[in-house]
Amino acid sequence: MSTARSERGKSTAGRRTTGKNGAVRLNWRVRLRRDKTLLLMTVPAVVLLLIFNYAPLFGLITAFQYYDPLVGVRDSEWAGLAQFQQLFHDPLFWGALKNTLWLSLVQLVLFFPVPIALALLLNTVLSERLRNFIQSVVYLPHFFSWVLAITIFQQMLGGAGILNHFLRQNDMAPWDITTNPHTFALLVTSQAIWKEAGWGIIVFLAALAAINTDLYEAAAVDGAGRWRRMWHITLPGLRGVIVLMLVLRLGNALTVGFEQFLIQREAVGHESADVLDTFSFYYGIATGNYSFGAAAGLFKSVISLLLIWGANKLAHAFGEDGLYRR
Amino acid sequence: MRTELNRRSFVTAAVSVAGAAVMTPLLAACGGGGSKHKTGANSAEGVKSALPAFVASTSVAADIPSVTGADGAMTDPAFLTYPASPVATVTGVPGKGGSYTAVTPLWGTVPPAGNSFYTAMNKALGITMEMKPADGNNYATIIPTMTAAKKLPDWIQLPTWWNPNFNVGELAASQFADLTPHLAGDNIKKYPNLAAIPTGAWQAGIWGDKLYGIPSFSTGFSIAGTTFYRRDLLEPKGITADQVKTLDDLMALGKELTDEKAGTWAFDDVWTYLFPFFGVPNKWKLTDGKLVHKYETPELLEALDWHYKLATAGYLHPDAIAGNNADANTRFYAGKTLIQGGGTGVWNLADHQSGTAATPGFRRGSFDFLTAKAGATPSLFMGASTSLMSYLNAKLKPEQIEELLAVANYLAAPYGSAEYTMVNFGVEGTHYTRVDGVPTANDEGKKDVQAQTYPFLATASSVISNPGADQVTKDIAAFQAANVKYLYKPLFWNMNISMPQNIATIDTAQAVEDTIKDCYHGKKKVSDVQAAISTWKSGGGDRLKQWMTDNVLSKYGTGQ
Amino acid sequence: MSHSPTTVREGAAQPGPTAPAPAPRPARTGRPRARAGRAPWEEPPTLIGQGAKGITLAGVIAAVAVPLWIIGLTSISTPGAVNRAGGLVIWPDGITFDAYQQMLGDGTVRTALMVSFAITVVGTLVSMIVSVMAAYGLSRSESFAHRPILTLLIVTMFVSGGLIPTFLVVTGLGGYDQWWSLILPSAVSVFNILVLRSFYSTTSADLIDAARLDGAGDWRILWSVVLPTSRAVTAVIALFYAVGYWNSFFNVMLYMPTSAEKWPLQYVLLTYVNRGNGLPGSVNSGFGAANSQTAPLTLQMAVVVLTLVPLLMVYPFMQKHFRTGVLTGAIKG
Repeated sequence: MSTARSERGKSTAGRRTTGKNGAVRLNWRVRLRRDKTLLLMTVPAVVLLLIFNYAPLFGLITAFQYYDPLVGVRDSEWAGLAQFQQLFHDPLFWGALKNTLWLSLVQLVLFFPVPIALALLLNTVLSERLRNFIQSVVYLPHFFSWVLAITIFQQMLGGAGILNHFLRQNDMAPWDITTNPHTFALLVTSQAIWKEAGWGIIVFLAALAAINTDLYEAAAVDGAGRWRRMWHITLPGLRGVIVLMLVLRLGNALTVGFEQFLIQREAVGHESADVLDTFSFYYGIATGNYSFGAAAGLFKSVISLLLIWGANKLAHAFGEDGLYRR
Repeated sequence: MRTELNRRSFVTAAVSVAGAAVMTPLLAACGGGGSKHKTGANSAEGVKSALPAFVASTSVAADIPSVTGADGAMTDPAFLTYPASPVATVTGVPGKGGSYTAVTPLWGTVPPAGNSFYTAMNKALGITMEMKPADGNNYATIIPTMTAAKKLPDWIQLPTWWNPNFNVGELAASQFADLTPHLAGDNIKKYPNLAAIPTGAWQAGIWGDKLYGIPSFSTGFSIAGTTFYRRDLLEPKGITADQVKTLDDLMALGKELTDEKAGTWAFDDVWTYLFPFFGVPNKWKLTDGKLVHKYETPELLEALDWHYKLATAGYLHPDAIAGNNADANTRFYAGKTLIQGGGTGVWNLADHQSGTAATPGFRRGSFDFLTAKAGATPSLFMGASTSLMSYLNAKLKPEQIEELLAVANYLAAPYGSAEYTMVNFGVEGTHYTRVDGVPTANDEGKKDVQAQTYPFLATASSVISNPGADQVTKDIAAFQAANVKYLYKPLFWNMNISMPQNIATIDTAQAVEDTIKDCYHGKKKVSDVQAAISTWKSGGGDRLKQWMTDNVLSKYGTGQ
Repeated sequence: MSHSPTTVREGAAQPGPTAPAPAPRPARTGRPRARAGRAPWEEPPTLIGQGAKGITLAGVIAAVAVPLWIIGLTSISTPGAVNRAGGLVIWPDGITFDAYQQMLGDGTVRTALMVSFAITVVGTLVSMIVSVMAAYGLSRSESFAHRPILTLLIVTMFVSGGLIPTFLVVTGLGGYDQWWSLILPSAVSVFNILVLRSFYSTTSADLIDAARLDGAGDWRILWSVVLPTSRAVTAVIALFYAVGYWNSFFNVMLYMPTSAEKWPLQYVLLTYVNRGNGLPGSVNSGFGAANSQTAPLTLQMAVVVLTLVPLLMVYPFMQKHFRTGVLTGAIKG
């Protein structure tokens, strides 16, 4: 974030009475005294993160225990890897893992191209007013809660929803969408598209705006039609963003909408709706089997980190930056 | 920003994480106290010394009195009338002005906080009780979080079917008040209404040889459910319950009654309440002194085979096969299914009202206990004597426990008493009026008087009473009377076995149960279930049996 | 990276920690095409192309607008209109605001609305104070220890203890049934801090340096230089936080499931509309009535609308700044 900044920092370091540009090399005591206000300002955020993000990391110890909340971490019996053994012998866990991966894959294939296509389409709308209007509309669902989004889906497509009401009135068989376990992957993906695809176009629109228009003009002069221009200029221009977004998605593959599934689990049954996160909740907290749930959570975290790392490797192989540089 | 997360900063991150080690005491702070609870079951002597004495109440005589069966089973007394002037069984106000909170599950509509009924109850009880009804459908997830947070209320309802989920054995040992000194033996005579609750129900509240639980709705006719049919639709076709004696008779109805074109299927899900009639034990049976799990019995395979045929023959409603159980009653009310399995709790006044709203003349009937072979004597295992048990918090002082037990005594007043009327109907004029002598809720009463609040803390033993729908009461009483002689006590009945977590998970056998479900929906073959069972056995089932043999059977016997 | 619902808020976490890196150009300037219509070198659109485009875009808009229309209309329809439609109402056919009157008169929804507002306002304030301070505190590239602190922040975006350990910490601190458990565990969004920080260290940088030369202290600079010059981004970040608080329900489910009087609107929506339980105070059909009467459709839809209205009220003022909010975090300096 900062090469340019630090240069600027140096050039303006003249505000200090010493006038030395080697501000960074000052004795740490001096710097501490000088920056104590700044440090003080970060204290609340740091404290909150230490308590609510770092302390739970130590709670992962429970994954290696038979944790009993009435006894506490210190006095709970050690389990070694027994929880993991049980986990790996649990068909429900494998079911949840399978669902997680399957739902991720479906979302990757069906969801991912939508914002790109939408951005390309929107980019061809000439009227700025119209474009702004469309943008405001498609961004909106992003701000809805999952409770709300799913309620809307239920009202539209559910058993008593508007679609089935229409079908029944016209003597057609009602179409079971919201409670059908077999098409659940499609249902949640369309929910995700409805809610998030619009918001997803922001980054692609920005990347489109950054493409130099001279390139288009030159290509047009050379006789390239709109499709050729899209293929040779637009898409390469988006490549960086697309790869980055892909990396982010892959890294997040094990985190498919927790709330979304939690809310709909009752309707379609745990067999198709349980993903790793809901598994950890229902078989951890809800059965009082905390260690078991923590083990499932830890398993997920480790695999996720590996995925992020792997996705970055992939990005580097494509010659892109990914999340962090090589 | 992408420059931040290079390898070097991961190292610094690791360092700063180490700095967070100061946070560990915080986690340890969750601990403290809490004894390791013992697993196993109650000993016979322990139970004997913890059980309260039984003193029958001399209250209103039932219109249809109780019938006694074998093995201590008995039907619930039934009432067709309501006493014109309810008699008080408690003198004065039970409470001494204490303030308490109570959490109970509630399936349905939560009454508004601080409503007029709560206020009236507080006045009648002489305490300030904050009622916190919690969503019954999520109760199984709510209680564990509450337990982990150590925020259990003063009085809590823990339905017994969730005993393994809540690990009640351990909770009792460390979190709940030991009621033995207050209630054991003759001590209970201070609370005559509690003393009138049958002994078997109290037994279900004993953990580690001490008494903790206060039962609600105890019954001598404890079955999980039964196979219902649309009596109003089947009788005109000449089909009556006494013609259906065997499972083959039942299967034959499938062909006769299913009419796909008309959108009518003979059956909704029936497995849960039907499989015992094939001779499958509740969970365990004893053969030559050795434990046999129900998964190991050939009868289970027969039962599966029958159900698989039922589903694949097309007699089962497609929505049931799709796993949509929420609308099962809607289908039944609308006559789209004619035979359904259901819990006994379904059969009541509300059901009658919903049913007649959908089809005038609606009448629910139940088949009698069935047999696999013609001419055999049917039999069915009993469930625990109560499925609703409330507990007091261990933090309460002895005098507070006495105060709440006095309140429980008020709540457990028998049918038709002044206290019963107050708890179930509220204040006359404010919450109900008498219509043809029967207390009938007015709008205020319908809003505020929720039967799933106070009665979930303590009640007298169950009665059958459906004011305004006497036919329902008579039907239920007749069904119970006809079948009570066929009930038997299963192995480990009322024994409150408490398992370590890893054994409990095996006991749940979710994977096998899921496969069984797919099988009776015709989606998986019986051989698939056999495969799932053998996986289960090698993955822990045998360990479970060993544990049960070592820790329950050889130490505490069979409970019979 | 496990998704911990207690700490990750939607809105704040999109579209990910490192958005792409387009040139940091201000929105919609410097591109002749944006205003001047079609560039001379572009071929005129085909009729079919235009038509397909129009239909697609209309479809996209309808997908959002039609459900909202139906729900909004149903919430203000008369019972007669709902009966005639057999459910949700598509065309106006008798309008009444009874549902809203009844709902705002009813304890549960009114309380929930106030709870939601309170949580959102207090939560957003807490989050903004913490985030703005942290962002400013970390915005000077040469300041003491800013790098380790920044790393400490960023690591939390990738590593988390997960649901259960977080739950154990919050309850271990006595957070069960406490208001703060709905706010503090999710008060800090590192992504939002990074967005603010990067804004402060670029856009406001020169002004900050000038103020320092004048001898102003850091508190003063933050208050009278940084905040006034970064109104747009502050507003957007505040919106992200506010939406997060407004929309959260899982913390409620986890930490205060039995305290109905403390439930915010989203949880009420989940319980009474999504799960179809009867609204508190509505008529129940007596003991054993597992399937008690659900709230009338108009009431349900009115609850839906109520959860939407506050958002729709601020949305128009905010939406032009989204770009800034989402993309600033991505600008590489």
